[in-house]
Amino acid sequence: MKPRDLGVRFAEADARERLRAIADVGTFRELAGPFARLTSPHLAAQGLVAQSDDGVVVGRGRLDGADVALAAMTGEFLGGSLGEVGGAKIAAVLERAVNGAVLVLDSGGIRLQEANLGILAVAEICDAIVALRERAPVIAVVAGRVGDYGGMAIALTLCSHIVTSEVARMGLNGPQVIEQEAGADEFDASNRVLIWRTTGGERRVTQGHADVLARDSCSEIAADVRRVFALPRNARRTSVERLRPIVDAAAATATITRHA
Amino acid sequence: MQEIIVERAGGESVLRRAHVGVVGSGNLEVLCEPPSTGGARIVVHTTVDGFEPIWRATLERFLANRPIAADFEINDFGATPATVTLRLEQVVELVLEPER
Amino acid sequence: MSDSRGTVWSRALMPDARDATAMPSVLVLDGTIAAQPWRILAVRPNPEARFARARGGELGLDEALALADALHAAPADAAILAVVDTPGQPYGLREESAGLHVAFGSAVEAAIARRSAGGPLFALVVGKAISGAFLTHGLQAGWIGALDDPGIEVHVMSAASVARITRETPAEVARVAAIVPATARDIRTFARSGAVDALFAVRDPLAPDADELARVRTALASARNAGAGLRPPLARLAADGAQTTRAAALRVRAHIAEQWNA
Repeated sequence: MKPRDLGVRFAEADARERLRAIADVGTFRELAGPFARLTSPHLAAQGLVAQSDDGVVVGRGRLDGADVALAAMTGEFLGGSLGEVGGAKIAAVLERAVNGAVLVLDSGGIRLQEANLGILAVAEICDAIVALRERAPVIAVVAGRVGDYGGMAIALTLCSHIVTSEVARMGLNGPQVIEQEAGADEFDASNRVLIWRTTGGERRVTQGHADVLARDSCSEIAADVRRVFALPRNARRTSVERLRPIVDAAAATATITRHA
Repeated sequence: MQEIIVERAGGESVLRRAHVGVVGSGNLEVLCEPPSTGGARIVVHTTVDGFEPIWRATLERFLANRPIAADFEINDFGATPATVTLRLEQVVELVLEPER
Repeated sequence: MSDSRGTVWSRALMPDARDATAMPSVLVLDGTIAAQPWRILAVRPNPEARFARARGGELGLDEALALADALHAAPADAAILAVVDTPGQPYGLREESAGLHVAFGSAVEAAIARRSAGGPLFALVVGKAISGAFLTHGLQAGWIGALDDPGIEVHVMSAASVARITRETPAEVARVAAIVPATARDIRTFARSGAVDALFAVRDPLAPDADELARVRTALASARNAGAGLRPPLARLAADGAQTTRAAALRVRAHIAEQWNA
């Protein structure tokens, strides 16, 4: 089976292909991979089959020669949910990263079946991102079909730069959960136009909540990651001063037009 | 949740290991490694109960066509027999690929 | 409307504190405990809140920014105590559209910045501690205490929400929680993960008495003097409970440590 063309769509590529596409050719070395069999001990009792890498691929590689930690979440395993093992993998490589990190996030949130261990892992990941970005870039890529929600969406906002695409969306609670909890009048989860208009990659870049809108292409996203890697961190993203007018504007809107 | 094991003696040992797939709905992952026994050994973990005869038929047919000695681990989330066979073929292709 | 647990405990711990609240749903109190300066932060209900989905003590857009402000502007020598009692984050279109996740990031960042710069950060769970709200208000603390009370809930979603999404019966949920402690929401099970540094038995969680308050204050002062407020979340993995409850995470870390330079 020949290696996939790096021009392939990023959203179609799997976690390993994405990391191999982003890292300098031939430099990605996976750690704690499938054959290490570090799987979730919590799933069998709940009637679920564990994936050999717990849905997270991590390792080390080079980015234009810089020694970086790499991590990618697999959206297809249990909705890209973050569990104990996957969380520990991400935290561990971030804590060891030498010259920076690239995090490819495709996450539906913390894994319900591992709830409190997932949440503890996210706390570690947030701390590790902030510690690392003081001395080296931490680039997030949100360009997959699941998008980025929940705990890992909070962690996302702490990164130096965020590269996204029109395919992706990101927020705290996903549309299904909002419809479930607040009713379809609040959010019709089947209204894809509404979802992307409010939380899609392009909107997030327009709002200043993400930095680069890339095309859905492995080679272009790899190029964009390299470009922002060389830039100073976007410290404005989480500044209260920038966010307050956005929140005030949201408060002033009695309703958002729900029908596109 | 079910575990199914299928074994077949003999065959030429694989020298490397490979992995394909993802445990998504209707999908499966397969890990393939050099054999720990004298032949092929496939361990299946599946979320769906009650299909053991179909698993056995599918896996035995695969091993009859591919008489290699290797350890396989399948983590399945409701894939069809066709998908199972496809993934097995993919992983074997990877494991037998000449070293680049 | 009677005071929430968060309000009750915050005021009771520092009865002579100066109220520095800028926005009603985030209580900010500056005072002393054992003669040292503390700032207490608590998220609490506000029926007049401008975001309708954040009136019941949820940590919404306004609350997240108010927390960030209160952390950035806290007196330099104060230790911070996050009193945690929140049903979680609001489920709303306006919230998602505005970027609730970014507002949360703002507060998380403020907490980490403070702790990393030498500002001790503590948390006391007196009610619910759910999901993103707990991640933002409480989980960056170096030391976490909690009331030993059945009214405490720690989880990534309310019980009612989980039931709606998984369609499991309460009996099934309880069965799983007994075998998979990571899914249990009671504080004693959560404490077994090693993430809780002290549990405080109380007669009535809505009416702490003098002895109960004295015990909490003593524990806070002593933890502060021992430097516990500066520990990063990673330090929880060294606790006794974590060796068994979080064994898989420890195995992962050991494996990566071993293979990193291989």
